[in-house]
Order: sequence, then structure tokens, then C-alpha cells
Amino acid sequence: MTALLDIRGLTIDIARDGGPARVVDGIDLAIQQGESVGIVGESGCGKSLTMLSLVGLLPNRIRATGGSAMFGGRDLLKLGPKELRKVRGSEIGFIFQDPMTSLNPVIRVGDQIAEALIWQKGLAKEAAQARAVELLELVGIPGPAERARAWPHELSGGMRQRVMIAMGLAGHPRLLIADEPTTALDVTIQAQIVDLVRELKDKMQMAVVWITHDLALIAGLADRIAVLYAGTVVEDAPVSAIFERPTHPYTRGLLASLPTLAGAAMERLPSIGGTPPEPGRRPPGCPFAPRCAHAVAACAEAVPRLAPVPGSDPRHRVACPVMTERAAA
Amino acid sequence: MTAIAEDDRPSSLWRDAWKRLRRNRLAVIGLFIIAILVIVAAFGPWMSPYDFLSQNLDARNQPPSGLHWLGTDDLGRDVLSRLIYGARTAFLVAVGVTVAAVLIGVVLGAIAGFYGGAFDRFVMWFTDMTMSVPQLLLVVVINASLKQPISLWMEARYMETLNPIWRNSAIIDFVLVFGSMALITWPPYARLVRAQVLSVRGRPYVTAARALGLTNRIILMRYVLPNAMGPLIVAVSAGLGTAMVLESAFSFLGVGVTPPTPSWGNMISDGLRVWTNYPHLLLAPAAVLAVVTVAFNFLGDGLNDALNPKGQK
Repeated sequence: MTALLDIRGLTIDIARDGGPARVVDGIDLAIQQGESVGIVGESGCGKSLTMLSLVGLLPNRIRATGGSAMFGGRDLLKLGPKELRKVRGSEIGFIFQDPMTSLNPVIRVGDQIAEALIWQKGLAKEAAQARAVELLELVGIPGPAERARAWPHELSGGMRQRVMIAMGLAGHPRLLIADEPTTALDVTIQAQIVDLVRELKDKMQMAVVWITHDLALIAGLADRIAVLYAGTVVEDAPVSAIFERPTHPYTRGLLASLPTLAGAAMERLPSIGGTPPEPGRRPPGCPFAPRCAHAVAACAEAVPRLAPVPGSDPRHRVACPVMTERAAA
Repeated sequence: MTAIAEDDRPSSLWRDAWKRLRRNRLAVIGLFIIAILVIVAAFGPWMSPYDFLSQNLDARNQPPSGLHWLGTDDLGRDVLSRLIYGARTAFLVAVGVTVAAVLIGVVLGAIAGFYGGAFDRFVMWFTDMTMSVPQLLLVVVINASLKQPISLWMEARYMETLNPIWRNSAIIDFVLVFGSMALITWPPYARLVRAQVLSVRGRPYVTAARALGLTNRIILMRYVLPNAMGPLIVAVSAGLGTAMVLESAFSFLGVGVTPPTPSWGNMISDGLRVWTNYPHLLLAPAAVLAVVTVAFNFLGDGLNDALNPKGQK
């Protein structure tokens, strides 16, 4: 089976005075049809940029400089602006982080959804508005016909995020990219949104990429998790394997720093010492080596490649020769 | 389903702004004076006691009286009637010049700010250049060099065709006087719109609109411009007053609207020559111009507060 989306060796650079600085360094990531993948990593690790680069939404001065991203038989990185515009919305949908500011304050929510349908699919105004109400109903907004006429500021954060999801789904995309859609919401609302996206994923048979830094949230949601560190995938495995046999020292660090109910109440949560490398000042070799307790001399020499973890799930791959060797032993 | 197509409820943003505006006493006074100006401009010919052109050489330079409430000028024309007609000129100047200047400013500023790049640099360079030329000088040059040839050409056309349209000095006023004023007043609008567009185009809902695959044109027209308009409305309301003062200044210098069309500016200019003997000829038009200009500024301040509630204490 060919993957829905196959990213190979993607590199992204920021143009700066004094030469480009690399922020994404050779990401390999495949998303299967109908799969739900979590991309986890701390701020600035390149997880959002990777996804934005697919549809040509990178900010000024930031460019995808290498690699390929095959989607539906085409390399997205080689498409022109017009073709990319057609991919956006109708083939790859987006949900963004902040529902409070991601809706245009001067257009009623129903019209905002309808607008996308009119320009994307060429629907007539009435048909688009009727479809907008259906979409609002689909994302669980009560009284969708009335709510379609509401202004964005009249809705709560959770409601707005539902509207954003409706907009993301309007074009019936095969891939939905959710960029930290719950970060700005209450925990209870978070759970509702997570359930909603999971349900819609099955109903609409699309693949979902969930960008987050919240491992606990992703555990109940994704089939697979890719852990990003400093612009590379350091570990890529089914959810169960990540939680049962975390292999990369960085993944272990992330899991160790999650609060647990069993932990002593007054104890400080463990954290990973040091900070990620700045773009343009990447160490040679493994980017995590300077912070890694298990680093050996060889780590600073060659960039490790993803390799299967012996004895674990066959899809479990990690970019750490040291740990791979230990697992084999 | 049909109900959603209707657009019967006004935007709350504007409703709230209107509420705040009504609470601002100065803004309401300004609005009231501007309303009077509009009414007088529209219905002046039916309101004025005399024709603004009819001369009465037996009653020149008369002080205010029961017959002529504001007296008469040096040709015996009724000052009140001329003021009322001047309101029409002032209103046309204010609206005509401002609309033209805002159109130029919005189109250039929005495209420059939204697309950036070489066009942006060119527009900003052009804006700076226009602003660096003294305003009066530019208008005087345009009018002095073009008014005469155009008038002569139109007179020649009239002789050929005997069509009275060629003797209508309003055409010269509109195209040349208003046009040259628009050409010097657009740069601040372009700068303002560009700055607003730059700030709005980075907002998350613009990115979200891009992610929906909307075209640049739709994003600019529906997502960026409407959200960039607030400060422009304030600038326009102050700009209307400025345009009237500017026209008066040009009339004073003899490059404003063509006499005998009365404008407050050329009335002030005429009055200034004789003010030691007949102060009412200067006072009446100057007072009206001052009051109306202040009214536009009151309204502009009020709109500024009403549209930026966060700025209030």
C-alpha cells in the first residue's frame, strides 16, 4: 500500500543575515490512508513548520530547501502556488491552535464556512450556506441554523474550535492537520474536541496528523507517534510501543517528566537538563547528544538514522545506535 | 434554511461603536453641525434669501440688517446667500477630494502592504516623494500651468459647438482643483492603510483563510481590508475638515474654485482685503469654516474613541 503522504529527507531553512539556518533537518515521515499520527516535540522543534511547508504556508524567509513530500502521486514541494492553493482545504485541511483569533471577526461563522465552499468547490451561495449548517451540525454545535448567523465573538472558545474544525472539514480533505487545536482550551473542552476529531476521522475516513507537545493527550488519540527533536524524527512507533518501550533517551525524558498520580505529591517533576540547539548552531552528530546521559564519543560524529528497534514492534524505529545496541543485547 | 441568508442584524461592533459615540457629547455636537452642513448643501438654493450671484450696486458693503442678515459684499451680493451656496462647495470639496484621496490611498496602501516586495518599495518611495514636496507649491504649479490652457481650450470648443457645457467652470473645478488636491492628500491614507494591512495580514484568521485555499484577492477583500478599516474611518472624518480648510487656503491664493462660484475660502480672501472697514465680510465666512472644521474634528475624535474602546480609561 502506498502511503497517503510520504515525506522524505525534508529540510527547512530560515534565511538570515549571515547565511541560512537549518530548522528542519531531514525529516522522514509517512502517513497511511486513514491513519492517526501524533507529532510530538517541544516548541521550535519544527513540527508545525514541517506541516505548513507541505501546503506552501511557510512564513516569509522560511523555505523548504530539500527532500520530497509525495501526496496523491505528486511532490507537494514542487507544486506552484496555484496548484498548492487547490490542495489547501480540499485535499489537506487545517485546524489551528488558537480558536479565539483564527476566525475573521467581521464575517458570520456560517458565512465563513460557506465562503470556503463557494471558492473551493464553486457551490452557489444558498447551497454553500445550507452545507455550512450541516457542517456545524456535524461538529456538534447545537442549534446550527441559528449559530450559523452568529458572529465569532458571540461563541465560546470550544464552540469556535468546533467552527474551525467545520471549516477544516468543509472541503472534505483526505488529510486533516490539527496544529495543537486544544492548547488554548479547558481540559474538559479539550476532551470533547479530541473525541469529536476522533469520531469525525472515522466518519469521513481521513487521516489525521495531530501536532502537540502533550504526550498524555495524544496517547488516547493516535495510532502512531513520531517524536521530533531539533528538526529530526528521533523515534517513530505505534502508541503502545512508545509508552511500553520508549527507546530514545529524549522520548524517555519526555515520558519521565509527565506527572503521575502515583508519584509523591511534593516531589519535583524530573526535567531534561539543558536546552535544544538553536537553529544554525546544531552540533555535528546527534542533536540530542549534548543533553544526553547515555551519549558516547561516536554520538558527536555521525547523525544517527532511524533504525528498527530489535525485539519491539516491527514498526518501532529509533534514531539512536546506542539504545538500539542495548535493546539487541 | 432560508433564514440564514437574511442579513437583518447589524454587526455588534458597529452597534457598540454607535452606542459609545452617542455618549460622547462633543462627537454628537460635531455630528449635528455636519448634519446641518449636509442639509444646507443639499437644499441651499431653496433656503437662501437671495440669489448668490445677483448684484445690487446700490447696496454695497452693507452691515448686517433685517434685509440682509449678514450684510452684503462689495458687489452688493447677499453674504448669507453666498455662505449657503458656499456650503455646497465646501461639502463637494470635502467629499470629492477625500473620496479621491482615500481611493488612491487604499488601493496603493493595501496592495503594497499585502503583497510587499518591489511594488511595496516603489509605493513607499512614491509616497515619501509626494510628501516631501510642499503641498501648496504642488497645487499652485498644477493649477497655474494647466488652468489657463484648459480654460482656453474649453472656450475654443464652446465657440465651435456652442454647447454650454464647455463654459461650465465646475468641470475645471472638479477635475483640476479637486484633482490636484487629491494628488497631495493621498499619501497619509496610503501609509495608514499599508501599516494596518501589514498588521492584519499576520493575524491567525488570515493564515486560516489561506489554509482553506482562498485566493489572495478574496483574502485581501474579505479578511484583511475590513479588519484594517477602523483607523481609516477616523482619518477620513478628520480629513474631510482638512480638505475644506485646504480649499479655503487655495481659494485665498487664487487657485481654488473659480469665481463667481462662492467658496468660503474666496469669501475670506475677499473679506481680508477690506476687513478694517467691513469686518463682517471676513468674520462670517471665517466663523462658519472654523465651526465646521471643528465639528469634523470632534466627530473624528469621537469615532476614534468609539472604535478603540481599549484606549479609554
